[in-house]
Amino acid sequence: MNLNHFQTMLLFAVVISVAFAFLTKRKLSERARYALWTFLAFLLVAVAIGWLMYPLSR
Amino acid sequence: MAEEQHKTEGGSAALATVVAVAGWLVPGLGHLLLRKWTRALVYFLAVGTLAVTGLALRGNIFSALGGDAFDMLGFLADLGTGVFYLVSRIIENGGPDVSRAAGDYGTRLFATAGVLNLLCVLDAHEIARGRKT
Repeated sequence: MNLNHFQTMLLFAVVISVAFAFLTKRKLSERARYALWTFLAFLLVAVAIGWLMYPLSR
Repeated sequence: MAEEQHKTEGGSAALATVVAVAGWLVPGLGHLLLRKWTRALVYFLAVGTLAVTGLALRGNIFSALGGDAFDMLGFLADLGTGVFYLVSRIIENGGPDVSRAAGDYGTRLFATAGVLNLLCVLDAHEIARGRKT
């Protein structure tokens, strides 16, 4: 099995977002909102940090 | 009255211990014993997905015989996956390969699964003690 960095990060973000939503919220609507928000935050922060580090790789 | 309360707390403590150990051994089993069906399934799938993917990516699974403090921390995190750690040697029949980036991702995913399961164990323990719903 082989996954690239982005695919691994997506898997991590989905699983952790859903698990954290179930750990911290009790209502279904709250869980859905929390999971979506956390997932998007994971993606946004990861892409932002990636672009911030981009000049250092050249 | 105080004795009754002590007995109730003692019973809760015993149940909480059983639930915590069960939840550690098999992710989600603690919640299953508490009849929290959905949470049990979600936690089992979450921990299982991360652990199996980590093994499939040929991540490094730490043993108790590690040479330094970081190896020991890795071992404790990996041990959190419970049964997945115990069968990891069978599933990961090719052995670890951290010479590729994917192998390194696998190491992190498996450790994340362990730490996540410990959070789930804590959640089940708190529910059994009546501190959470």
